Amino acid sequence: MTIQRSEKDLFLEISVYLTGFDEAELQGTGMVNTYYQAVLSNNTQPDVAYFFEMVATILQQNEGNEDALNKAISIHLMPASAYSGMAMNIINMWYTGNWGQNVVSGQAYIQGLIWDAAEAHPPGAKQPGYGSWAIPPL
Amino acid sequence: MKTDNYDVVVVGSGIAGAVIAKTLTNAGKKVLLLEAGLQAGIALDPEESYKTYQGYLETFYEAGAKVPNSPYPDLKDAPSINILDIVKLQKSNTPSTVGYLVQKGPVPFASDCFRGPGGTTLHWLGTTLRMLPNDFKMKTVYNQNVDWPLTYDELKPYYEMAELEIGVSGDVEEQKYPDIPKDFFGKDYVFPMEKIPQSYLDKEIAKKTDKLKVTLNRKEYELSCISTPQGRNSTPNEDYKYGSIVWDPSKKKLALKTQPKTYNPDGSLWDPYTGQRCEGNASCVPICPVQAKYNALKTLKKATLENLEVITQAVASKINTDDHSGEVTGIEYKIYKHKGSPEYTTATATGTIYVLAASAIENAKILLASNVGNTSDQVGRNLMDHLVLLTWGLTKEKIYPYRGPGSTTNIPTFRDGAFRSEHAAWISPLDNWGWSWPTFSPGSDVTNALNEGVFGKALRNRMNDLVTRQFLLHFEVEQSPDAGNRVTIDPQYLDAIKNYRPVISYGVSEYNLKAFEASKTVSDQIFAANGIEDHTVYNPVTDADYVTYKGQGYTFRGAGHIVGTHRMGFTKDDSVVDKNQRSWEHPNLYLVGCGNMPTLGTSNPTLTMTALTFQAAENILKQLEQ
Amino acid sequence: MKLAFSQSNNPQRQKLIKGLHTEARVDTYVKSGNVPLLKEKDSSIKTLAQLHSAFQTAIELEHSTIPPYLVALYSIKDGTNQVATQIIRSVVIEEMLHMILAANILNAIGGEPKINAKNFIPAYPGSLPDSDKSFIINLEKFSKETIDTFLKIEKPAHTNAPPKAKGYHTIGQFYQALMLGLEYVNDHTEGGIFVTDPEKKKRQVTQEHYYGSGGEIVPVYTIKEARLAIEEIVGQGEGIDDTIDDSDEKLFGQGIEYAHYFRFNEILQERMYCEKDTPKSGPTGEKIVVEWDAVHNMKLNPKIKDYQGQPELHEQAKQFNQTYTALLDNIHHACNGEPEMLMKGVGLMYQLKYKAVELMNIPFGDTGEMAGPTFEFEQPKK
Ligand SMILES: Cc1cc2nc3c(=O)[nH]c(=O)nc-3n(C[C@H](O)[C@H](O)[C@H](O)COP(=O)(O)OP(=O)(O)OC[C@H]3O[C@@H](n4cnc5c(N)ncnc54)[C@H](O)[C@@H]3O)c2cc1C
Ligand code: SF4
Repeated sequence: MTIQRSEKDLFLEISVYLTGFDEAELQGTGMVNTYYQAVLSNNTQPDVAYFFEMVATILQQNEGNEDALNKAISIHLMPASAYSGMAMNIINMWYTGNWGQNVVSGQAYIQGLIWDAAEAHPPGAKQPGYGSWAIPPL
Repeated sequence: MKTDNYDVVVVGSGIAGAVIAKTLTNAGKKVLLLEAGLQAGIALDPEESYKTYQGYLETFYEAGAKVPNSPYPDLKDAPSINILDIVKLQKSNTPSTVGYLVQKGPVPFASDCFRGPGGTTLHWLGTTLRMLPNDFKMKTVYNQNVDWPLTYDELKPYYEMAELEIGVSGDVEEQKYPDIPKDFFGKDYVFPMEKIPQSYLDKEIAKKTDKLKVTLNRKEYELSCISTPQGRNSTPNEDYKYGSIVWDPSKKKLALKTQPKTYNPDGSLWDPYTGQRCEGNASCVPICPVQAKYNALKTLKKATLENLEVITQAVASKINTDDHSGEVTGIEYKIYKHKGSPEYTTATATGTIYVLAASAIENAKILLASNVGNTSDQVGRNLMDHLVLLTWGLTKEKIYPYRGPGSTTNIPTFRDGAFRSEHAAWISPLDNWGWSWPTFSPGSDVTNALNEGVFGKALRNRMNDLVTRQFLLHFEVEQSPDAGNRVTIDPQYLDAIKNYRPVISYGVSEYNLKAFEASKTVSDQIFAANGIEDHTVYNPVTDADYVTYKGQGYTFRGAGHIVGTHRMGFTKDDSVVDKNQRSWEHPNLYLVGCGNMPTLGTSNPTLTMTALTFQAAENILKQLEQ
Repeated sequence: MKLAFSQSNNPQRQKLIKGLHTEARVDTYVKSGNVPLLKEKDSSIKTLAQLHSAFQTAIELEHSTIPPYLVALYSIKDGTNQVATQIIRSVVIEEMLHMILAANILNAIGGEPKINAKNFIPAYPGSLPDSDKSFIINLEKFSKETIDTFLKIEKPAHTNAPPKAKGYHTIGQFYQALMLGLEYVNDHTEGGIFVTDPEKKKRQVTQEHYYGSGGEIVPVYTIKEARLAIEEIVGQGEGIDDTIDDSDEKLFGQGIEYAHYFRFNEILQERMYCEKDTPKSGPTGEKIVVEWDAVHNMKLNPKIKDYQGQPELHEQAKQFNQTYTALLDNIHHACNGEPEMLMKGVGLMYQLKYKAVELMNIPFGDTGEMAGPTFEFEQPKK
């Protein structure tokens, strides 16, 4: 049974494999819509269409086999030349809130995954409270 | 309050100007404050101040490069120095005109400040160390630099005022610096609040660094790691007894007044309960979201507002004087209508006494533009900063940086000692924010990993492994006063409303270069003892302030400490102001701010400057009540 | 360019509502005899054991308001509803203060607060512990109805409402009963009921550990501080003066901190109180912008078992509960001889918010609603 998945669903699903954060963690940032829109507005329409076509294919072909999926991502999505570097830009956006050099939005900065990965928090937001820095992260 | 004759006209609402305005209005004097920045920024009431500040915060979130001035408006009519404009100077004779400063070199001046209500304390870090007694007599003790016309002991009571005004958190017991007398702090003296907890990273590094023996020029030193006093809120110290600073007209002195209640930390402008403790936003530079960190608007809010008139969007440009008496007769200022408008009108502010508090570079510029107060030819000279040499590496275990205030611990060992007759002294703060300053981590770490094709869980793990082990150490080297390091003006270089832009000549002396060499030696020993893998890179091509000494290259960075352009001294020939901080030539003109400091020492300058400013306020009150 | 400076904000608190005047009240009740207070077969408190149990209930009562207040607070979207956010936040912080105050009293009379147990956490929907169950409290996103419930929680007692430790209608009644019980048992016990052992006195949590809102932590050593502590709780929360709806007293103005009831009423009426207002007039001051729609569309009273179909969400919700349970554990230890633990709990408190907001960003199945924190007991993994 194949369910027709929207581009936005594909975006969320591939983001899981691109970023190393699970779906709930990505949704928890509240940024899925904004980032999907940023993908649309920062890329040409054909690039976007081909990219998600490829995403749909590799997700389907490698379902349940993470190693194979990672290999496919490496070959088809990660090269800087692939779809104008869209995959790299997407990862960078999730991690830092920037598309290229541009900050997507104030919230995007705050929701950068790099800070979770680093067991820290974005400077100037999500402050951990008085004295929290004196002990290892919770 | 609106009148034609003010007791005092003050230029600038940074900490220097705010302390003057508060102290004088509290003592019943009528004060006019001229402020170059935007009207919105001066709001002190909850609603407006919240709105303005949230605006700053939002701008900060959206800024691509989160440099000190990124949250704040940059005005064509009163431009701020921006460190993004500090570029490598070409060897040709044409100076760099990128940004506000005109930089003639040989290397660019590397620090910025904020021109707007509240001034640079909006994005200062808030470290509040006192200077050491020997810092005031460098010539006598080490035959270097110059002596101050003031001693540490004379300044001591004013340090206590400054520590109340800023709201210092710290542990007096732990403040052990080289060669200080027993009574460096008064008997039983405590800071208003307990020390800001030291970071986890501090404690990990201190394990192998505190009491570490290092060798420098064949001499052995034992390092220590101590907590750093700072102007951000923590738990009130129950033993602290002061509540305010008041003018005693009978004794003609300012005095600390005790209060029965426990000290109450000053919260934010918009809600006294927000910011009563530092919440660990780790963004003190450029902006503390909860205002747990001191800024000058908190002082301004305590001014007696009926006695205070503030004119914003008013850029002081010229001082008028009476040729015969030397008295200042008024300060001309240009008012611009709204942000960015090239149109302006000119007006003159008059009062009995005039105070420039526009920060060191601007103060000097205004004096030069007016050809005032410069018999000594010292105006604009002796520009100084702490020259910050950074070293960075990876620890073996995770130390979890990017949390807490910028720095909570320092190594004071090289703040003073016999070596000062050979090379400059320094202080070494441990940095809590990873490699963000030198390498733009962790953003750049993501980019690097992506360029290597790393993604998914591997990327997440790589970031976790790398970023949690980033360690950064500062060596903040005391720059010596050098007549050639100076601010000048040139009619070629004007800003949008035809005020002068500062033209800067700047370089580093051998006395300082030697200290770089010495610092790196010490850094190597600290890194070795801690098993830290050194990742320090000084890049001759891209680093703007790359200098060489004995064939080694070093990059220094600015500390934001703009000092020394209108030094205080012993005679009208060696200095711009006397020990009362009054112009030698103009009896009703006072200069306040770091520009007065003859030397810099190894402490961040603002606490000392604030102490001096209380002294200046006292002198002004004395003069008014003569 | 004259500046419009407002009067500098005076952090000094003034209680809007008069506190309990217990001594006077005991007399009145006893003398007037119009309250079945000291008669046989009443539900009033007469033994130390009853007091211990009543103050344990007080702690639970104060705590029971915290999850609903927090849910409403967290459901407000970032950067919106500034005034409402500030009001709810300050109330929550004060509820935590009240919890600690109740624990201080319990410790002072030789009890042992139990805060980290499974049954400490109430079930939502539910009602205030031991109350007359006259209204239901939900875990519910910020809305008019929610604020209306909060008003019911904080509703002041009528003077003529009898003190009642069980089946009370308002929190004021409950505390009156506790205060009377405290006085009674203390008077009828030789040497009083307040502990004198220095070790036990060290169990008091003191002011240095508290900040962020009005009020003060009162360490309790004698009946005097116990009275103060109860006044603080009641005065700051509900007030127990004459019925507030028809009082004409002028109680509002700059620099005055209103009891919770009035602060919530400001949100509901979308207006601040001003100087000429009376409780009867309601708030007629400046308008407050309340954006009732700028809210995460959180599911009503979520339970962790609702998330079984979404394992990753389930995991996140579980983590939230672990953090919450760790926080309770932390407060438990702080109130059982390790007061310095309170500072360590600060980090957990902040985490709670970030985790809750993450949950509110995760769609709950295809319902169009969002998930949310469930506030259930979940032992943190070691
Ligand atoms: C990144 C950074 C970190 C720092 N950290 C520390 C630290 O940790 N510890 C420390 O001690 N110091 C620190 N400093 C230095 C500290 O910020 C300054 O020493 C201090 O703020 C100077 O105060 P001021 O009042 O003299 O000048 P400013 O704060 O710069 O204020 C000058 C005021 O004058 C106004 N003005 C300027 N020109 C005119 C004009 N022509 N007409 C009218 N108004 C005018 C400006 O708008 C401003 O309000 C730091 C600086 C930076 C940049
Ligand atoms: S660490 Fe955060 S809360 Fe503390 S002073 Fe810095 S920015 Fe403010």
